Amino acid sequence: MNISIIGTGMTRFGELWKVSLLDLAHEAMDQALENSELLPKDIDALFVGNMLSGILNNQANLGSLLAEHIGTGIPAFYMEGACASGGIALHNAIQSVLSGQNKTVMVVGVEKMTDHSGDDITAGLMGAGSEAERQAGATFPGIYAFMARAYMEQYGVTEEDLAAISVKNHFHGSFNKKAQFRFTITINDVMKSSKIADPLKLLDCSPITDGAAAIIITSKKVSSKKRISITASEVASDTVGLSGRSTFTSLSAVVKAAKKAYHKAKITPKDIQIAEVHDCFSIAEAIAHEDLGFSSPGQATKDIIEGKRTIGTGNLIVNPSGGLKACGHPVGATGIKQIVELTEQLRGDAGPRQVNNAKIGLAHNVGGSGTIAVIHILQNNL
Amino acid sequence: MRNTPVTAWRKQKITAPHIGKQGRILLWTLIRVPSAFFIDQAPYPVVIAEMEDGTREVGQLVDWKQEDLVKNRIVQMVLRKLHSTDKDDIIHYVIKFRPV
Repeated sequence: MNISIIGTGMTRFGELWKVSLLDLAHEAMDQALENSELLPKDIDALFVGNMLSGILNNQANLGSLLAEHIGTGIPAFYMEGACASGGIALHNAIQSVLSGQNKTVMVVGVEKMTDHSGDDITAGLMGAGSEAERQAGATFPGIYAFMARAYMEQYGVTEEDLAAISVKNHFHGSFNKKAQFRFTITINDVMKSSKIADPLKLLDCSPITDGAAAIIITSKKVSSKKRISITASEVASDTVGLSGRSTFTSLSAVVKAAKKAYHKAKITPKDIQIAEVHDCFSIAEAIAHEDLGFSSPGQATKDIIEGKRTIGTGNLIVNPSGGLKACGHPVGATGIKQIVELTEQLRGDAGPRQVNNAKIGLAHNVGGSGTIAVIHILQNNL
Repeated sequence: MRNTPVTAWRKQKITAPHIGKQGRILLWTLIRVPSAFFIDQAPYPVVIAEMEDGTREVGQLVDWKQEDLVKNRIVQMVLRKLHSTDKDDIIHYVIKFRPV
């Protein structure tokens, strides 16, 4: 693919009561324009990733609403794919550029969650589950708790082993000035935190977050050192309900999308030096490492505990931003935030959390319980 | 969950044939932080059960004790109220599991 990222923007992630959904999106969009040194008139189309604005904010038609900010009457598209809404928006933006319909496109992911109560948000998020799961009173922590129980049983992994994932991501998040949580935690902290859905505890779970992120991609030839290439963008889907799947310890949508992405980019998992993966829950990151080919089945937590995925000690650094767990998870923004983080890392602009000599990065964005997965591979060719 | 008389009427045809079917617990969790509709029921277990015909179903476990939360516990599908509603709303019934 001949597509480059030429601009990025991202708000601080967190509990941001002073700003609205539009404030967040506008801030990220303005930053992306400034970073790319483009003007609004240079943008051919806008793709928006968001899951909950119609449910929580009573605001549909978000594509047109955000296009007003650019002010040029460009085509605008709203993309929803649960927590993978951002990744799906980017995938469709890429397709529009590859088709020749557009040359330079902005993609923004945004979510405003903390204006609402936790139980209302939990109910809204369950819109991404199956009807049977909703009728059962299941929640997403509960659905991932099923996976955790199956994984622990199959591989002899303990709750303490899974807790090491949250510990790593908080360590990384402590270096990220835009992260929701900038403090370190211990395995004991995770184990002592309140239970949400057994065996998952509060510190196994990503938080409720406000935030936005935006990028600008182009097919035009650019010589800027800020240019990062997108070498693969692949999507796959699976059943919405978890119960009918043949396995609970792997997500087939991830395996399929990753296999296609590695093939398109002409690389293998061993070539990846840095990855942003969808750690909505600690168990989700363990499964991600294995589905992406970073670790053998059942070995992900061992590799994490040995420091192989940690800045400073690892050879393949996972979630240098702090991941969803520490950086935060404004669901529609997460897929774009992952791309912003990888772009900054591949440019060498990540400051205290910079991964040395990173040239190839992977983003893994998942919707629902693995209902849909989006894999992007980015490369610094300079 | 927002249900209407029409959705309740349509779903009863799908629900009725399941009543009385048995299976065994494959996976379980205990929901302690529920969504808005289930607050008055928490904590409550939700299970994935493997039914006698080999299908897998997800559902809430009712009439449970702590010792029922184990793999391979035999459970049966029963008809129960989904969750409490306002006085003006319809009462919606769904399939749940109970230990046998």
